[in-house]
Amino acid sequence: MSLIIVKNATCTFCGCVCDDIELHADGEKIVETKRACSLGESWFKHHTAERLYPDALIDGHPATVDDAVERAADYLVAADMPLVYGLSNVTCETQREAVSLAELVGGVIDSHTSL
Amino acid sequence: MIYWGGNPAECHPRHFTKYSLTQKGKFIPNGRKDRTMVLVDIRETPSAKAADLFLQVRPGKDFELVTVLRAVVKGQRVDEASVAETGITMDQVNDLVAQMKAARFGVIFFGMGVSMTRGKHMNSAAILMLAAEMNAFTKFVAMPMRGHGNVTGSDVVMRYTTGYPFGVSLSRGYPRFNPGEFSTVDLLVRGDIDACLVLGADPGATMPQPAIDHMARVPTIVLDPKVTHTSRLARVHITTAVTGVSAPGTVYRMDEVPLPLRPALKSPYPTDEEVVRRIREAVKRRPAWLPQRNGKAVG
Repeated sequence: MSLIIVKNATCTFCGCVCDDIELHADGEKIVETKRACSLGESWFKHHTAERLYPDALIDGHPATVDDAVERAADYLVAADMPLVYGLSNVTCETQREAVSLAELVGGVIDSHTSL
Repeated sequence: MIYWGGNPAECHPRHFTKYSLTQKGKFIPNGRKDRTMVLVDIRETPSAKAADLFLQVRPGKDFELVTVLRAVVKGQRVDEASVAETGITMDQVNDLVAQMKAARFGVIFFGMGVSMTRGKHMNSAAILMLAAEMNAFTKFVAMPMRGHGNVTGSDVVMRYTTGYPFGVSLSRGYPRFNPGEFSTVDLLVRGDIDACLVLGADPGATMPQPAIDHMARVPTIVLDPKVTHTSRLARVHITTAVTGVSAPGTVYRMDEVPLPLRPALKSPYPTDEEVVRRIREAVKRRPAWLPQRNGKAVG
């Protein structure tokens, strides 16, 4: 497996969002994190691209993403007041989609800020 | 520089060296030597070693201390007994205010010790007021020390899409903002909501038990790279790529600078963005929601 080097990578562990990290990736794992702090290093090394979990779970049983997406849509449409919550560890593009979804289902959208 | 109710040495290890304390600038050519750092906290954390002045405030007295500072800044008289209750002496207060006024550019970084203890929003509001009022004397700003990766981005995105930063209800078709009414813990504890989509968070591990109990009662959907505590009580879990490690996009730094992600790995799972878009498209395919009473459409 060839070593992939990513310069000026961005760390999203904490709110500092350091963008000067050099990552060395060996296929499925990050093996080196230059300039990252101890928290950033464990964050990068902890997350691998291995398939450790099922694609989706419905009522605790493995399912396909297609079925899970349909089930999620059913629940959100059936609800009178759904809540969309979290949004901390996702990208701004995802957050925009989430706002749009919350508007469509007439729900509440909230983040960690309110805690 | 004032750090209040935060422990950057352990929680934001590069904050000192990369952003705040030791960086050299046009007007501060000597970096650390040209700066004064004050730490206000309830106990002497490892961050205190980096500080020139450490003030140990009594737990739950942050609001009182900020209010005393605001009064002294404006030259008003304060009751020495109530100052003593905060754990800080009148001399220390006067000294701090003198140093704040002497600064050419002051900043208050406030952490979760301020915003998540007794008083919550009121503590943050008091610190923001103190920073605003200091501008009568010198340039002063306040900035929250954000914990999670892109929580600043969620404030920014919600602000430009709905007009409000968090706790927004779209149930009437237009955005309404009211922390306490539309904030997650309150909604869950009161049992107001009847479905929940959780992404980029694990409230099942951090929220108060009554809130978690309600999440388990209603259909909860979780999008996360791992099977989390919340996933275990959810009806639907979808595994997604890890933001920044295997999912690309934009995130905001805590000072609201947007930065691109450069993922190093390719995930076998779809990104959060893709899954949310697919759920939205699936919702759109279903018939529009109409208000119902006793199973019949009304209105």
